[in-house]
Amino acid sequence: MSAPVVGFAGLTHLGLVSAIAVASKGFRVIGYDADAARVHDIAAGQLPVVEPDLDELARGVAGRITFTSQPGDLAACDLVYISTDVATDARGESDLSAISALITDVIAALAAPALMVVLCQVPPGFTRRLPLPPERLFYQVETLVFGRAVERATRPERYMVGCADPAKPLPKPFATLLGAFGCPILPMRYESAELAKIAINCCLVASVTVANTLAGLSERIGADWSEIMPALKLDARIGRHAYLAPGLGLAGGNLERDLATITRLAAATGCEASIIAACIANSQHGRDWAVRVLHSEVLSRNADALIGILGLAYKENTHSTKNSPSLALISALAPWRLKLYDPVVPASAATHPRAEGASSALAAVKGADALAIMTPWPAFRDLKPADLARAMAGRTVLDPYRVLDARDVAAAGLDYFTLGAPPYRAKELLHA
Amino acid sequence: MLEHTATGTEPLGGVVVVGAGGFVGNAICTRLAAEKVPHLALTRKDIDLLEPEAATKLQRMLRPGDALVFVSALAPTRNNSMLIDNLRMAETICAAVAAGQLAQLVYISSDAVYADDANPVTERSCQQPSSLHGVMHLAREVMLQTAFKLPLAILRPTLIYGARDPHNGYGPNRFRRLAAKGEAITLFGEGEEMRDHVHIDDVAMLVSAVLHRRSHGALNIATGNSFSFRRVAEMVVALAPQAAEIRGTPRQNPITHRHFDITDCIKAFPQFHYVPLSEGLVHVAKESA
Repeated sequence: MSAPVVGFAGLTHLGLVSAIAVASKGFRVIGYDADAARVHDIAAGQLPVVEPDLDELARGVAGRITFTSQPGDLAACDLVYISTDVATDARGESDLSAISALITDVIAALAAPALMVVLCQVPPGFTRRLPLPPERLFYQVETLVFGRAVERATRPERYMVGCADPAKPLPKPFATLLGAFGCPILPMRYESAELAKIAINCCLVASVTVANTLAGLSERIGADWSEIMPALKLDARIGRHAYLAPGLGLAGGNLERDLATITRLAAATGCEASIIAACIANSQHGRDWAVRVLHSEVLSRNADALIGILGLAYKENTHSTKNSPSLALISALAPWRLKLYDPVVPASAATHPRAEGASSALAAVKGADALAIMTPWPAFRDLKPADLARAMAGRTVLDPYRVLDARDVAAAGLDYFTLGAPPYRAKELLHA
Repeated sequence: MLEHTATGTEPLGGVVVVGAGGFVGNAICTRLAAEKVPHLALTRKDIDLLEPEAATKLQRMLRPGDALVFVSALAPTRNNSMLIDNLRMAETICAAVAAGQLAQLVYISSDAVYADDANPVTERSCQQPSSLHGVMHLAREVMLQTAFKLPLAILRPTLIYGARDPHNGYGPNRFRRLAAKGEAITLFGEGEEMRDHVHIDDVAMLVSAVLHRRSHGALNIATGNSFSFRRVAEMVVALAPQAAEIRGTPRQNPITHRHFDITDCIKAFPQFHYVPLSEGLVHVAKESA
């Protein structure tokens, strides 16, 4: 059999990166999205997502990938991925109406023997209910990580594939496609695969929750969580890739969605799942770390404070602001003046009556009574504490992700606040 | 979490304070008077909520568009009889507000509604009172929520202190009175328990803010900083006109702590700042000198 033609229905973050990754392995790919303007932009090389190495990879596969807004064009495919991002609301609940409509259109367009693979996040039980013969219907766990999407899509650790019968070999086109990536393939029943994605995220959330809890304790008892983390990572039972860096609560939408799904399923089935509620509460507490510190250190004493905020995206190397801790902070600072800067996200992403965008990180800091580095963009690591001290009117620096060196900042005469350690105060350093 | 339904810029209409004769009610009325907010201060002499005709009487006093602040309570609730009486008082309020003329109802509850091991306490912490006093406040909250469908603000202050507090419970008020007389302050154990203490003026200020913003929902009233009872005693003694001994005793009960996460308050009223305990105690010492 010749190499299969692979379709991707839905060209949001997940679909676009996945389509380009498959094309990079030599397959012919057809990318479909009902949004003609989006398709036009993508075909013109204007990608609507920001990911390291994505633009370069897209240019390299230009001859093998075509984009269309006509669902009928998918009839040329041997298998079609349903690959749109599933929107979530403020509570993390998925809105499945768009994906359901997309699936209806794709099934109508599919050639008779073609396969359909659901790639996006759906709740357990979703795939089995779809109106397609089971031998043509699959679910594949997506493992997209914002900011590392190309790396994850081109060099996956493994594939988890949901099937009607995991004991049967995968159909040839699907096996050929997945085999090209040279990683283990784990067939399992539909529900297992759908839950596997959630299980991965729950493990990550549990790990982050433990880290946040102990980092918070470290801040109060004089410990430094950054000194503890390496020791944990050298424990084989925990591992060097464990999610142990403290953060400002869960963000991005996917983890929150999975917690909402487990909460709903556990309630419906009577399963004990209080750990999930604890993780959600911990996340809410963590998200507000910066507003608590700012209030305690600056806002309670300065009614007209100017706050410089660096970073609006929910994490580095992405344009996404879904559940961004930075935007949450900004919404809690309504009475104060703000200057905002993000290398990718425009200041207009934040709705605030007294916020203005700045042209650079240093411009956002100029005259500020406090600085909060809310997204650990690599470029912010180049900021010199002495430059910050000269530019700022106040002395308070919040750097939850340790973009800057705490001692350097304190040595520059600034008070430095981070997650997982007590404050580094300039005065204390002087007297040390 | 509180939600506001008014900007706070409009002048406040009438406010009726039921329980104005008590420590908290009086402070609220003093605050409203200072702000020139038209208000009706009702003490037990004006209306006894346990009287059979109290609901009708109160209903006649309420004008459409008024806000009602319900502070009255037989506190602390030490026995079943007090519990029942407190619930009957709430029943009267429920009956009086059922006509639906009010613009807002503000209930002064207590942090006693929370489980003892809820740390740090937020407005979403488990409400599982271990005392009759906590049960009373939680039952009243539910009664009011059921009876009143318009903006209902439930405020849950932690331990309140102030010069005029008639209560003599374990904490700053009792310590101050003992120290003033040069008598020893006796701690439970070594006074290790950490508690949050809020100044009465902050309670009154937040009640006023909630009225101005026509807020609804729940809000804890606590500073976010907890101190051990020994530390509180030391601070009080340092401000006393004469030396007083601080004396530990053999511990009878396990140590429990209470801390608050006050993020909801910061978000609801970003420009409100609690008086730190050290400053509040100085204020009280001057006022009571």
